[in-house]
Amino acid sequence: MQSFIAALLNSLDIAMLLFIIAVGLNIIFGVLNIINFAHGGLYMLGAYFTYALVARLDLPFWPSLLLAPLAVAAVAVVIERLVLRRVYGRHVTDSLLLTFALLLIIDESVRMIWGSGIHTVRPPEILRGNISFAGVSYPSYSLFVIVAGVVLLAALWLLFNRTRIGRIVRAAAIDRDMAQTVGINVPLVVTGVFAFGAWLAAVGGVVAAPMRAIDPGMGDRIIIESFIVVVIGGLGSFPGALLGALVLGLIHGFGGRYLPEINLVLPYIGMALVLLLRPQGLLGRGAPA
Amino acid sequence: MARLRTRLPLAGAAAALVLGIVALTAPAQAQQPIRLGGIFIMSGSASVYGQFAQQGIQLAVDEINAKGGILGRKVEFRIEDSQGKADVAIQAARKLVFQDRVDALLGIDSSGVATGLVPVIPELRRPLIITHAATPDVTGKLCNPYTFRISVNVNQNMKAAALVAADTGAKRWTTIGPDYAFGHQSWEYFSKYLKEIKPDVELMKETAFPRFGNEDFTPFINSIMAAKPDGVLISVWGGDLVNFVRQARNLGFFDRGMQVLMTVGAATEVLSALRDEMPEGVWLGTRYWFGAHDNEINNAFVKAYMERYKTPPSYNAEGAYAAVYAFKAAMEKAGSTDPDKVAAALSGLTIRAPNGEITFRKGDNQAVVGPTWGRAAAMSAEHGIRMLKPMRAFKGEEVTPSVEETGCKL
Amino acid sequence: MSRHLSASTASAAAAAGRSLLGWRLGVPLILALLVAALAALPALAPYFYIFVGTEILIMGLFAASFNLIFGYTGMLSFGHAAFFGMGAYTTALLLLHFQVPLVWALLASMVTSALLAAVIGFFSVRLGEVYFAMLTLAFGMMVYAVAHQWRSFTNGSDGITGFLLRDFGLGLDLQLADPAVYYRVVLVIVVIAAAVLYLITRSSFGLILRAISENPERVAFCGVDVRRHRLAAFVIAGAFAGLAGALFAPFNRVANPDLLHWSQSAEPVLMTILGGAGYFLGPFFGAAVFVLLETWITSFTERWMLVLGIVLALLVMFFRRGVLGTLLDRMLSR
Repeated sequence: MQSFIAALLNSLDIAMLLFIIAVGLNIIFGVLNIINFAHGGLYMLGAYFTYALVARLDLPFWPSLLLAPLAVAAVAVVIERLVLRRVYGRHVTDSLLLTFALLLIIDESVRMIWGSGIHTVRPPEILRGNISFAGVSYPSYSLFVIVAGVVLLAALWLLFNRTRIGRIVRAAAIDRDMAQTVGINVPLVVTGVFAFGAWLAAVGGVVAAPMRAIDPGMGDRIIIESFIVVVIGGLGSFPGALLGALVLGLIHGFGGRYLPEINLVLPYIGMALVLLLRPQGLLGRGAPA
Repeated sequence: MARLRTRLPLAGAAAALVLGIVALTAPAQAQQPIRLGGIFIMSGSASVYGQFAQQGIQLAVDEINAKGGILGRKVEFRIEDSQGKADVAIQAARKLVFQDRVDALLGIDSSGVATGLVPVIPELRRPLIITHAATPDVTGKLCNPYTFRISVNVNQNMKAAALVAADTGAKRWTTIGPDYAFGHQSWEYFSKYLKEIKPDVELMKETAFPRFGNEDFTPFINSIMAAKPDGVLISVWGGDLVNFVRQARNLGFFDRGMQVLMTVGAATEVLSALRDEMPEGVWLGTRYWFGAHDNEINNAFVKAYMERYKTPPSYNAEGAYAAVYAFKAAMEKAGSTDPDKVAAALSGLTIRAPNGEITFRKGDNQAVVGPTWGRAAAMSAEHGIRMLKPMRAFKGEEVTPSVEETGCKL
Repeated sequence: MSRHLSASTASAAAAAGRSLLGWRLGVPLILALLVAALAALPALAPYFYIFVGTEILIMGLFAASFNLIFGYTGMLSFGHAAFFGMGAYTTALLLLHFQVPLVWALLASMVTSALLAAVIGFFSVRLGEVYFAMLTLAFGMMVYAVAHQWRSFTNGSDGITGFLLRDFGLGLDLQLADPAVYYRVVLVIVVIAAAVLYLITRSSFGLILRAISENPERVAFCGVDVRRHRLAAFVIAGAFAGLAGALFAPFNRVANPDLLHWSQSAEPVLMTILGGAGYFLGPFFGAAVFVLLETWITSFTERWMLVLGIVLALLVMFFRRGVLGTLLDRMLSR
């Protein structure tokens, strides 16, 4: 029982980190209709900015949680305006290749700036210990990740369903031309959405920084995981990102514990099963896009 | 393409390179420089190993050139990126040999790359000194007269680990290792040697092999803790090891009184990432430890390296550094850079390296060399990493299996 | 895929039809000269370029097989390395355990890869666009995992090494261990394979494939079984990718899981885009550009990935038709 609870908690904290990253990927896909390979790079930038702020400039963790994602969002604005803008309206293959190229560029730039060493960031003081309940002792930082994911989930739900900005973004996602004719500044919305998606990737990077090794391969590792999440949940679907992240979290948390021999391939089996049975993803929109 | 070039700093770099070569070769020497070709991982998450090796080679080459070079000729080196892939490394080796006309090859960071490249080496007809990859096969069943290894291999390190493990008194052993050849071979050899030394140990069936590049080790840590072993061999390495240690620490893995042996735990890049998060008291192994060898070569090497790169040399830097000196000794012994003569000279050659006198054994071309193991002790204020205490630098003779055992037939 | 790509394919074809009329005789002549130059390469170029040439030919065939389903049929596969690797493993294992003549190993590799493609394709071709890409990625990684974990048969992560190249078969006395000989063997096989692939694209079957990529609904409406045609294209592409892999294993003396990884699947995608997906020779051209750039740039800097990223981004943004397409456009617009 205890091992079951431990595996469940573990699945949840993996899932929440994946959710934060994948939901950004899905929001970008929903409005821009691009599959953003560079998302992994933006996540990595979030982690490296945190490292720079916390370990090199000796700033506390909390202001970094604010500053690093904003800095990444600023980078994203530049990327969107100078690069991505040129391939809108083209086939999804083009944006896939272009953002893959961006991932290569970000990977190498990070190595040029911060070197190829392995770095770590300490969790903030109050999140360093363990918390125990129901006979299970669990790292408080992992619990913080779960809480952060839930808070973000609620905030995003409110943003998209209860605010004017949310309605504008949803309108732009459904029909850009229509949104334009009713007086919405669509190019601005598009830039904003991309920056917001990047901000979410970077929040994921900051949250990951105190618990995962920061090295130049971290962006490549996360992006395939995120793809699996959005495919399982449904491309472009906001609740789908949550469900996909939970499924993949459970695959990792329980698969590693109870089916270790095939843990390498379990996520792909999960993704293939979903694609075969319900190609648009568990919560995807109707017909295949 | 011309348009592209102007946009890149490449043109500048190319110009600088050309100028550099011109400047180097300018002193009206009729003789060609001696060229060394390195193949390391220079991109991706393991590129830190390539970076250390590059620094080690640079230091050795500069020292040698300052003292007149080899056979009166300057030494140059060039490094190609293996990307950690065998086919890329093979093509890189061909380029170094046939296009760049290097006289000798060194490097190789991963076992998979080594097993792919080594069978091709005789066709390239250049001596290769492996400085990092630890798979037993390249000085075992795949061995050939051109391939040498200066670094500690899996057998040697696992023999030492078994000796350390036997001393701890722990009875029930298991492992957590990366799910590829290295992790499985480490456990295989460790089991074999430990059973030989202490027939009453129990080698558990409950092992854990998380995939390489796995970022969350929690499920595997929990499984192993639930199996209640007395001792655990950890062969996870690099960034994975950093992740593993931090997660295991949070889960109380190190508080259960288990004996924990990390086969590549005393790698400086891991220690400097973890700092005091590396728990005190665990056993850490490494192919070379900068503080383990009190001889003048090591003292000079560590001092020069620290001055230049502001960090203590990792095992990979030492392996690459020593390999350059091994080529120097072999070329001077052969009196030429002819690849066959250099390879013949390397076989059986004894050199003085930072980690002591080491010999490339005739029979399998493996250096008779041992790892250093020690317990993680207090932090060093100077280096920002944990030091090893007590510490044991194994002699090559103690841990190297006989040539017959390796399966090498030269 | 459909709209954008096929639009460029169609307009390119139209342009070719109009302006290349005068080239009718020129094109075969140019191709003949090209093949002659390639055949003479070992005698003319520096020794290392024999290896560069071999790699370009093999990767070009790999990319061309990919383009049969990408450029011609409109399906972006992210798991094409599964068939390349399958071919490499088949040949490596046959050479290691049974010392068969190379030609039989090559044919066997085409068969095993085609069978694998039939299985993967059966499940995948029913899906559209992104979902097809993701499902092929998933299947590709499953094959990778099998090769990686089945240690007793595939030797796990280290892969198959130590196999020897003996004879070619068919009574030919060839010194395959000589790189120049092996290069010429690869050249002949790749030219034959490319010719077969070209004939397939020119056949009525090929025309239907292109029609499918433009508008699958309309083709289905005409009574054509779209899924079956897609599957057939997928299996043919798999067989030729297997042939490329089968040539690659003896070239590098190794077959290991890297050849099955998704990053290996990215290479034919990049090469095809680089060269131009709208042209039959685009992938070969892309392979040449890719391999040559890598060879040259890695001599100056270890930041090849950065250069690749920048080149790729510029190509996608400004030269969407690939290097070959852009060159042809320039020539034809004069």
